[in-house]
Amino acid sequence: MATIELEEMVLEVDGDGFLTQPEIWTEDIAKSIAEIDGITELTKKHWAIINVIRKNYEEKGMAPMIRVICQETGVRLREIYELFPLGPARGACRIAGLPKPDGCV
Amino acid sequence: MGVLTEEIKQRGLEVLSSHGNSKLLTHLNSCVHCGLCSNSCVYYKVDADEHYVPAKKVDIVASIYRRYNTFLGKTLPKLTNARDLDETSIDELVDLLFGSCTMCGRCTLHCSIGVDIGYVVRKGREMLSAMGYVPKTLQATVDAAIETGNNMSISTEEFVDTLKWLEDDLQYELDDENANIPLNEKSKNVMYTLNPREPKFFPLSISAMAKVFYAAKESWTLSTEMYDVTNYAFFSGNMDEANIIAQRMDTEMKNLDATKCVLAECGHGSRAYKWEGPNYLGRKLPYEVTTSVELLAQYIRDGRIKLDPERLSEVVTLHDPCNLARSGGVIEEQRYILSHVTKNFVEMTPHGVDNFCCGGGGGQLAMSEYNERRMKIAKVKADQIKSTGASIVATPCHNCVDQLTQIDQHYKLGVKIMTLAELVADALVLDEEKK
Repeated sequence: MATIELEEMVLEVDGDGFLTQPEIWTEDIAKSIAEIDGITELTKKHWAIINVIRKNYEEKGMAPMIRVICQETGVRLREIYELFPLGPARGACRIAGLPKPDGCV
Repeated sequence: MGVLTEEIKQRGLEVLSSHGNSKLLTHLNSCVHCGLCSNSCVYYKVDADEHYVPAKKVDIVASIYRRYNTFLGKTLPKLTNARDLDETSIDELVDLLFGSCTMCGRCTLHCSIGVDIGYVVRKGREMLSAMGYVPKTLQATVDAAIETGNNMSISTEEFVDTLKWLEDDLQYELDDENANIPLNEKSKNVMYTLNPREPKFFPLSISAMAKVFYAAKESWTLSTEMYDVTNYAFFSGNMDEANIIAQRMDTEMKNLDATKCVLAECGHGSRAYKWEGPNYLGRKLPYEVTTSVELLAQYIRDGRIKLDPERLSEVVTLHDPCNLARSGGVIEEQRYILSHVTKNFVEMTPHGVDNFCCGGGGGQLAMSEYNERRMKIAKVKADQIKSTGASIVATPCHNCVDQLTQIDQHYKLGVKIMTLAELVADALVLDEEKK
């Protein structure tokens, strides 16, 4: 099992670096994963997106459609790709602690 | 995985037992061990370990075939290098056929005597699939498609809402309420398809294609019932599931009474339906099946769309998806399209039929188990891109787009990855009144 080592804990992740136990996610974990992706500071917009993803996952068990992210946060589509250079799945969903979505992502 | 019972083993061996499959027999028995395939493989290029020589993949499948299907293999297995199908050989098979192959087919192209190594890998995967040894992340993607109708489990409601949202944007952008994304309309010329990652996460390519259809005045529709162009069972090797997925596309084409089926920018999806579809279904498809790449080229050739190559000042290079170019024969069309989109096009070396895989093919992108290896072999592609000096990498495959996006981050290339539809849409010159 692959792991990510943080200051005070070691997190179990899958081969792609997604948390194997999404329920242990905390905001500090989000910051640490973001840093690995080269995002040194999570801005208000980042958090708005992460929170929508997190909420959708807790309610429906999966990542939201990009439409939902755009409409609920008011962030423009193209800007999301700039905020998370690895995209909504490998970027935002991973930081939000979700398991890796299926498919070509 | 569970315990390897005799019954499970028999299911696997049944796949290899040929039953007069002369193609399988020929390719299992012809390798002359010249080693020319080694340097054609991205795995071997980054790690020159004997383990990664493509011929090894043929060798292990052939050794199991010999053990159970030839006189000498049955009686003197050690002398003929015939191996038992057991936990040890299965572990090795899974690691070689699933974990160390993108099914890119470059070794097959370079084989000195024409062994279809890719075919043997597919047969080997089929055998592993029959025994239940498909890596679970890959199987999860197939399961999602079988259970929900698309590999990302998008509900119809979510799909329709997304397309309506995109349609609103398109109408606003074009200032025309007739610009639309038609759903489930019957008797259109084109039934278009999508990779589910487009509606789920990356819809710019849907808007782009809708804009091109609008400019070309195409009569088209999307189906909400079956729009998923992918067929991951092509990678997992489960022929029954591959058949179910292909059957759904065929049924929807008939339901909507469309003239042609246009496959979105998706390498394996194009191959799995256009070329393998008839094999899965056991008959010819009674309508035209084409790729959006060929369609875009046709629009330009016929003057149905006009593009301005001056608009884009950046240098563009092209990544040829293996399944579309090497295995699908679509080589010139993407270059023809790009010549109308930019005046600064530069080829990778090598390219076209001899292009290197991005490293994400063969289901690798879905298999977290082998992620580290996938990023390691991607160095070949990263170096290729770097050498071009381009700042945009165009590629007509959403799977390649994702892998290239990761390569860009991992190897700090600073490039932008775009589909052809996006580049074409950006270069569109609309009618005077639409300017």
